[in-house]
Amino acid sequence: MKTIVSFALALSLFLCSAHATVDDALSFALQAAQPYVKEGFTVREDYWGGDLPVKQPKAIVQQLFKGNEYWFWMGTDVASAKLSVHVYDAEGKLAEAEYWRNKPHMAAARVVPKVSGSYYLIVEIEKSPLERTHWSLAYGFR
Amino acid sequence: MIKRSSTARPAPRKNDSPPHPPRAVTPATAWMLPVLCAAFLGPVCFAQGEPPRSIDVGSLPATVVDEVVVPVPTEVFGVLDKLGSPNWHEVLRPVKTENPGKRPQVALLLGATIAEGFIAVEAQEAEEVKKIGRQVLSLSKAIGVQKSVISRTSSIIEAADKKDWQTIRQEFDGASKDVKQAMIELKDAQLAQLVSLGGWLRGTEALTQVVGKNYSKDGAELLHQPAILDYFQRKVDGLNPRLKENAVVKKIARRLPELHTLIEPAGGVSPQKVEKIHSITAELVKTISSQD
Repeated sequence: MKTIVSFALALSLFLCSAHATVDDALSFALQAAQPYVKEGFTVREDYWGGDLPVKQPKAIVQQLFKGNEYWFWMGTDVASAKLSVHVYDAEGKLAEAEYWRNKPHMAAARVVPKVSGSYYLIVEIEKSPLERTHWSLAYGFR
Repeated sequence: MIKRSSTARPAPRKNDSPPHPPRAVTPATAWMLPVLCAAFLGPVCFAQGEPPRSIDVGSLPATVVDEVVVPVPTEVFGVLDKLGSPNWHEVLRPVKTENPGKRPQVALLLGATIAEGFIAVEAQEAEEVKKIGRQVLSLSKAIGVQKSVISRTSSIIEAADKKDWQTIRQEFDGASKDVKQAMIELKDAQLAQLVSLGGWLRGTEALTQVVGKNYSKDGAELLHQPAILDYFQRKVDGLNPRLKENAVVKKIARRLPELHTLIEPAGGVSPQKVEKIHSITAELVKTISSQD
């Protein structure tokens, strides 16, 4: 009985902790977005997220529209982790107009699409003390 | 009009200045890393240095490619507003207050109704926004997820009184996310996909109505959405047999490949193609809204 209770407690702590880290990663992504909201960017409620090992990039396909300007904001709850997000067009050419990284918890990229269509968002944990690092990616447009 | 950029592709500007990151220290040999990575380690590898100027998207393993986030209608409508002054009152359709009985159809209608909300915001029709907000709640109730949107719909109605259009847009986007999340929690993820599909169909019907009335290449280019069509096609193909057998879903599944062909850019999306896409999406939205 004692073992079952201990296991249940450990499991619930693990689940709470995992949930909290995803939420924290998103809160850092949204924190990164804040200054741009004042510049007229609308931040989407939907977002991407998960956990990744170091130096194993993940690709996300996303539809972007010519005539809009987009910012993609990536966040993590791990302060010492280094992140990056970059945007490529359907042919694999680098499409972003600017990007920044090397700020604790955050990285971002801006794109002004030259054509409407599919784009690849490449997210990566460049450095982290953890085996897998929670991340989240939000975006906004104007 | 949209400002056209030069065809030259400038190097991305690394902005290490405030408001955000501290200045990055780039090693003198950083330029070599992407080259070495590309040569030896595969199509996507650029840790520690500048991003490579190109990647081989054909070599991306399917497992690392995550799902699209379906754009909200405002992403498209905002561009149309920049291209001209569409008459959104003409596009706006009064909401019906009856609910169709079957859950898949209710989910599709819920998505289409939320899309109608975005149109009502473009038309700045506060009373219609309120009616749509109430209908979103009613449809959510019909599929057991009303708790997830009560606060959203209250905010929509409150913001409509103040004509706070930006808040209403945000709340409709949030309502869509919350009902889908609630469906996923109820182990009904496939129904959540139908909400997205219904919203996309109504949004595309509205887009083609505006572009069809005042055709421009820039406007028609907004219809080039291969990733979205791929996504919906995959989701519809993967529906469980019970959902697939629904007459409305069946009809949509039959027309999706046709829409996919029409949005391909070979020769651009011509006025004829815009008209055809409009006729298909209008027919499907009518089916979604029907009581049969």
